[in-house]
Amino acid sequence: METFRMTLKETTPKRVLIADDDPVMRHLVTTIVKQQDCEVVLANDGRDAYRILQSDSQFTAAILDMTMPFLEGLDLIRYMRSERRLMRIPIMIITAQQDIKLMASSFAAGATAFLPKPFTPEQLQSAIRMLIGNRKPTRRAA
Amino acid sequence: MSFDHIANNKRTRTDPFPFDPAATTRDDVLDLASLKAFEELQSDDGSDLIIELIDLYLVDAPQQILAIRKAVAITQWEVLRRAAHNLKGSSSTLGVNQVAVICEELEATNSSDSSEVVEALVQVLDYKFAKARQALTTERQRRLS
Repeated sequence: METFRMTLKETTPKRVLIADDDPVMRHLVTTIVKQQDCEVVLANDGRDAYRILQSDSQFTAAILDMTMPFLEGLDLIRYMRSERRLMRIPIMIITAQQDIKLMASSFAAGATAFLPKPFTPEQLQSAIRMLIGNRKPTRRAA
Repeated sequence: MSFDHIANNKRTRTDPFPFDPAATTRDDVLDLASLKAFEELQSDDGSDLIIELIDLYLVDAPQQILAIRKAVAITQWEVLRRAAHNLKGSSSTLGVNQVAVICEELEATNSSDSSEVVEALVQVLDYKFAKARQALTTERQRRLS
């Protein structure tokens, strides 16, 4: 039984929800997440992410931009933490706002990690690895 | 009055980028070191991530600037702040620092600011983005050759 569980865990692909209305950031985050052998589900804004989450809860993690049209990252965190099927999904907030209160609000709402822009590629990689549980790097820095 | 003079005077209103790790290069139109840092994320499939990011930025940034210009014309500060915020994020990440600095100032715009100052900032933004586009296009060409 234990062997079966381990096999199942190893073969189930990790899926990550990425929600950002900025195409540059979306592409950057997607590239790094895919390098971690994860499947990516993309949302172009907060409402798009909300619709996806209403019917799909099979995510290893969610990476959300704070400021998005229709629904902000903070709204999505609150929604996810209020839904039993979503409440265990680790959430990372990415934001261009350098506001300590916003960071505190994000953690209070249930965010797991908070990454302010601008960030270095290494910071983004480390944060994503920690979020999805791949602590060992799969690629080394040049 | 030069564009830089307008930008520098406006910049004193806040303390931009308190966490900027590359503060010494903030005055560059394009901080190539920040951009090239993404080389370590290159895929093995032969694609060039930096070219992809430049291409996406050069499509998206003019749209954000247009949104900013329209918002200023009808004094929709919330729309202005959102577009400036979006552009600031991608600009600062890719090392397009001067555009990011102007966006930060535009993001701080409120109803107490005179429309002349805001319009001047948008002109500075146009000017800085034109210079940044030139630098990004040059870097793109260099990577392709």
